[in-house]
Amino acid sequence: MRRATVPGLVRRTIHWLLLAVTILFLITGFGISEFRVVENITLGWLTKSWALRLHDNLWIPFVVLLVLHICLPFVFKGKPKEVEL
Amino acid sequence: MVRKITNLAVTLAMLLSALLLALGGCPGDITNGNGETNGDGSLEPVEVREYQGENLSSVNDFRENSIKGPQYVDIENYQLEITGLVENPASYSYDEVIEGYKHYKKVVTLNCVEGWSVNILWEGVLVSDLLAEAKPLPEAKVVIFHAYDGYTTSLPVDYITDNDILMAYMMNEIPLPPERGFPFELVAESKWGYKWIKWVTAIELSDDVDYRGYWEDRGFSNTADLDEGFLGR
Repeated sequence: MRRATVPGLVRRTIHWLLLAVTILFLITGFGISEFRVVENITLGWLTKSWALRLHDNLWIPFVVLLVLHICLPFVFKGKPKEVEL
Repeated sequence: MVRKITNLAVTLAMLLSALLLALGGCPGDITNGNGETNGDGSLEPVEVREYQGENLSSVNDFRENSIKGPQYVDIENYQLEITGLVENPASYSYDEVIEGYKHYKKVVTLNCVEGWSVNILWEGVLVSDLLAEAKPLPEAKVVIFHAYDGYTTSLPVDYITDNDILMAYMMNEIPLPPERGFPFELVAESKWGYKWIKWVTAIELSDDVDYRGYWEDRGFSNTADLDEGFLGR
């Protein structure tokens, strides 16, 4: 049985979320500057106007997740509490 | 192990983004206006970078963001059509527009929704002069511009006439390069860049006040005023 810690789970979730938001940030950025390519690749789903909307708002979760990603190791410095998954 | 993969993936994503941004942020230079010689030995015109004490951007400072890439219009067969709700529909060659109408110059800044802007000295003819010749019917409320690549956009007739809107054929004292909209680009001052239609081939007068052009139909504001957001209906 795998065992994990609550802080470990939180940190891992934040890492993956940060990765997802970073990739989305990249894709929407290209959806603005290289909209012809991105529109084709996404089968017309990510249009330039949608890319602009998303890109304009993604910086907020990006900054929050980045700050958490940097700060959490310092917050959970104590001995981790183990839980069963 | 998972953490290592995560960290590696995040690092790779950031490196990739930096690389792509670096590659994407380098607009290609336009050969026109670099002081090179033509076949007959005469010098190519060189763009000016200052006008009446005001600094100008370069023709190379634009980013290519047209819907089908740069268009290369065959000027020998080019005709500018004035159609729709007008008394006198007309069709002009490039030379007929240039030689038949008074020229005006203006320094106007183009602001793109992508976040960049360029300050350029434009020279062209007034759209209102072209319209006056065609005599719009009273019910004509909107001017729809059509481009060589199928792009369209529209502006109210009142905006065109009240603001002395230019259709430019020169920028920074050189002829409009093909990549910048040769033969004509609309100088839609105080409007977002998607109203600055390039490669204009037709000007249509319409009574359809709800007409939406290419980007407007895809979620961009139809008024496109710079002091308002560009997203939304």
